[in-house]
Amino acid sequence: MEPITLIIILIGITLAGTLVGLGVHFVPVGGAPAAMAQATGIGTGTTMLAAASGFIGLISAGITANDMNTGGQLAQYYPKFGPALTGGTLFSVSGITDNLGAFALVLVAGMVGAMLAMVLLAVVANVLYAFAIGVPLVSAKVKKDPITGDRQDLYVTKGTEGHGTPTVAVVSSLIGGALGGLGGSLIYVALLAGGFTIAAAAFGAIGVFFLNSVLASYNITGTIEGFHDPKFKRWPRAVIACSIATFVVAIWAVAIMYMGA
Amino acid sequence: MEELVVALGTAALMGACATIAGAAEDLESDFGSQSNANSQVQLAPQVGYVHRIYNKAICGEPVAYGFLCCSAAAVAFALMAAFSINQVLALALGALCASLMYGVYATTAYMGRLTGQKRFGQPIYLDILTTTTPSIIAHAFIASMAIAAFSYLLMTVLHHPFPFPILAMLWGILVGGMGSAIGDVHYGAEREYQNKPFGMGLPAAQSGKIIQKGEAGLRNSIDIAGYCVKHGGPLTGLGLGITVFFDNWREILFTQYFNGWGAMIAGLIIIALIVIFSRIIEVWARKTYGPYKTEA
Repeated sequence: MEPITLIIILIGITLAGTLVGLGVHFVPVGGAPAAMAQATGIGTGTTMLAAASGFIGLISAGITANDMNTGGQLAQYYPKFGPALTGGTLFSVSGITDNLGAFALVLVAGMVGAMLAMVLLAVVANVLYAFAIGVPLVSAKVKKDPITGDRQDLYVTKGTEGHGTPTVAVVSSLIGGALGGLGGSLIYVALLAGGFTIAAAAFGAIGVFFLNSVLASYNITGTIEGFHDPKFKRWPRAVIACSIATFVVAIWAVAIMYMGA
Repeated sequence: MEELVVALGTAALMGACATIAGAAEDLESDFGSQSNANSQVQLAPQVGYVHRIYNKAICGEPVAYGFLCCSAAAVAFALMAAFSINQVLALALGALCASLMYGVYATTAYMGRLTGQKRFGQPIYLDILTTTTPSIIAHAFIASMAIAAFSYLLMTVLHHPFPFPILAMLWGILVGGMGSAIGDVHYGAEREYQNKPFGMGLPAAQSGKIIQKGEAGLRNSIDIAGYCVKHGGPLTGLGLGITVFFDNWREILFTQYFNGWGAMIAGLIIIALIVIFSRIIEVWARKTYGPYKTEA
């Protein structure tokens, strides 16, 4: 494999990992307090929420890439993708320019899969909040919902930080899901193009995804409501940390590709 | 055409499997109070609320289920590959192996966690251990069997490239995430704290003051699962079933349009509809319940 291809794969994995780390900050995570209607957001941990949705993106991206690669119905529209992937030239300069459409489709497949999982995680829980617990969906971090303009503070139970996932947090979760899905599918395609087997590439993508979502959740420390939360301003630190950590991992991945080739 | 019908039928079967898996997963986590807020069951004896609730939460549901389902699928895969055992039998044996292993973890977690709470006067109830652990194993079996089965269908019928133990792990992490995000709300906000008035969140000062008494006698984990089966379990199942079905349905039906972009557009339309649905619920809840009122 040419050195320039390896460098592009290195940059691709680093960028993807950083996107995952950034995406985690958009996800409205309430953790255990959210499950008690004591904080706004989705009632599970940061890492697992990002991972649960990101992996559905990975499954969608996997099936789309495989369809192009093995002569499925997408192979007729993107005939150059399969040979470039198996020949190891997908991440060369010419490989990228020839396959821009195929790249976009695989990455968007990852984004849409992750967004779908994320929005269902948020909205089905809202059904329970509204009908079983009987609480309005509000945030205590802002006075008015930045998207709908609804007054929030009057509806918040005293002694809590809000409950449920209001519209602004649902929209934020979609952005988080999209970035996570984009990152996860980019790592998968990069590893696959570097000569990893499908199973190894999937595991590599899972590993890099977990690495960055754990790192980002250290930065979040507990709960976050999305882009309107004051904690969101911490994102530059996570971007620096995630890019360094993913770069180190990406060097190992590229070294395996170099020695394997 | 025949291929399309088979693929759609498989997607529907997968959705049904996912619905069962989601409901079983949520109920299993309610039995073991692995559901959020599991910290409350741990905290309760420390604030003087001794209880008869099973307490086995060592790690979050997504991690636990990722590895439970992956173990089930891996054992099934090994049995199919090495001994050419019938697929259905292999999946059942794999799920049995994994759920028994899960039962061991549940037992050691319960004993270990409650031993650590001796200083707060929390006893270890052996009758709780012997009656609740089989229920945990049974629900873990249903969930892991269903997840492993639909991961196998995804690999063999819908031609997903990932080996099915990996798919089972990914879907296992999602089923855990769904159970944790959706079902736990019914357990944590409603069942653990039924002493608060309807229509309010739980103030932080009330943390740990969980309900100790049940409909008859002292409350135990089987009462809790019996209550959460009304809303928490079915909605978790519905959430996972919709995710699995829609994700496959849009890919099967719409990939043929606009050079593959049809599936993406269909996905975005589904997402937009769900967001609109969420907004309708939000407006309904605000109008129906009104602003928060302090007790006069």
